Amino acid sequence: MSQSNIRPELQEELRNTAVEPLLPIEKRLIAWSLSTGLFLLVVLATINHFFPPAS
Amino acid sequence: MSNATLTGTGPLRPHSATAPAAAINEDWLAVILGLAIFVLALAGLVHVDLIGWVVNTAVWSNFSLALGPASKSYAALGGFGALLATYAALTVVLSAGAAALKTDVKRFALAFTAVFWIAYASWIIGNYANFAAVTPAEQQKFGISWSLKLTNEGAYIFALIAGLFIANFLPRFAEAIKDAVRPELYIKIAIVILGGFFAVTAAAKLGFASSLLLRGVAAIVEAYLIYWAVVYFIARKWFGFSREWSAPLAAGISICGISAAIAIGGAIRARPIVPALVSSLVLVFAVIEVLILPFVAQTWLAHEPLVAGAWMGLAVKTDGAAVAAGGITESLILAKNAAQGIHYQPGWILGTAATIKVFIDIFIGVWAFVLGYIWTNFINVTPDQDKAKAREIWERFPKFIIGFVVTFIVGLYLALGTPADIARQVPAAIGEANTFRVIFFILTFFSIGVLSNFKALWQEGFGKLAAVYFVSIFGFVIWVGLGISWLFFHGVTPPLAG
Repeated sequence: MSQSNIRPELQEELRNTAVEPLLPIEKRLIAWSLSTGLFLLVVLATINHFFPPAS
Repeated sequence: MSNATLTGTGPLRPHSATAPAAAINEDWLAVILGLAIFVLALAGLVHVDLIGWVVNTAVWSNFSLALGPASKSYAALGGFGALLATYAALTVVLSAGAAALKTDVKRFALAFTAVFWIAYASWIIGNYANFAAVTPAEQQKFGISWSLKLTNEGAYIFALIAGLFIANFLPRFAEAIKDAVRPELYIKIAIVILGGFFAVTAAAKLGFASSLLLRGVAAIVEAYLIYWAVVYFIARKWFGFSREWSAPLAAGISICGISAAIAIGGAIRARPIVPALVSSLVLVFAVIEVLILPFVAQTWLAHEPLVAGAWMGLAVKTDGAAVAAGGITESLILAKNAAQGIHYQPGWILGTAATIKVFIDIFIGVWAFVLGYIWTNFINVTPDQDKAKAREIWERFPKFIIGFVVTFIVGLYLALGTPADIARQVPAAIGEANTFRVIFFILTFFSIGVLSNFKALWQEGFGKLAAVYFVSIFGFVIWVGLGISWLFFHGVTPPLAG
């Protein structure tokens, strides 16, 4: 980016952001997202195995 | 390209409070321009050649043979005449588009002049035989003893490097031409055109093409559900970023670069500077990926062409870089196989990369709504009028995908549903539109380069963001993307040419 000098206040913010602990809803979101993603991936891989591309 | 602001002077230009509202957004403009080129090309089906004057570049050792019009009907124009005609037409049409976007038309036209000529000159240089010739037969034809074997599409890299040079060594010039440095607009137009081109390719193997759909779904699953969650966790837990920074950062790294970062940033009501800064990072890393991954794919995945194509769609962020990386990868892999006597039909690797990317794009609005709902109801609880609403799904839907679908369906119908004498002419007609697609790819590469200032990576504060990106992309996203691509495309090869 040609003129991307970060504003000083943003630099300060990025350097010294106070840690925000993960909220229960965030943990649930991450866990739900990952587990659903992995489950669907297994399902799709199984479908892919039994119905390979019609080349 | 988003209109969010980065620093007020960056390429992600702001809508200032006093600027008049644009009559149209960039997505719809891309749909209109892409469809216009597609429709003009289809006039060829009734023997009216309306866009055959567009310039085409061949691999060359004698410069006088480098350029030529796409159609023999316009042979009288000559190569330079075709180049001038292409420049003039694009300047007029895109300036009209700039007017619709409420951009200063004069400044745009001047900036576009510089963008077009530098980008196209880079493309011509990249097509020089010592860079682009691939097979021994080609080397013999051009009377050369060595070649870098980058192929003609490898010349995109030259446009990218030209842009990078300007961004990093001529920052004032980069600032002067910023009005026409619009990689997202150019790639969206190219993707609309690509729909028709891919349809013609897919028509020959419809069953095979439809089986790509399942793999597109797998890409969505991976990008949204797995990538996002992991990157968000890394940003929050390992690097200590706030929620406001982590959500757009995870979207930029895991889903689709700039558009996703902007959409998710808006959905969780982050300050505009947050996704804009993430976007600048996305571009820098997309450049690094484009410079590396196609060559890695050529080296190790030449016998798994569709794994390579899917990998580009999954691992390279931003539409422009991903689809263009698919183009380079296709060119490199087809060339390597051709040297071994295997001639795959062109279009499938690029089509796979584009299909994966389009599938990922489709659901940006849905994912933004899901996160927006969670944020505005449970994390930063907002007043009712500011809570996420279902209509945001449509508002954030990337409209250029409509153009891609339309050209794909029309192209498919023309190739399969019309009498043989018409269907026979479809590839040539759409081929002329595809020449424009190549030009928009060139403009995209150059523009991405101009927007990529590597110095920014070393700025205090920015380094921490870059570290998350680096760890996520090179430690996780690329390899998981490769694994998933291998899982779904392993052993699947494109049809052989002829």
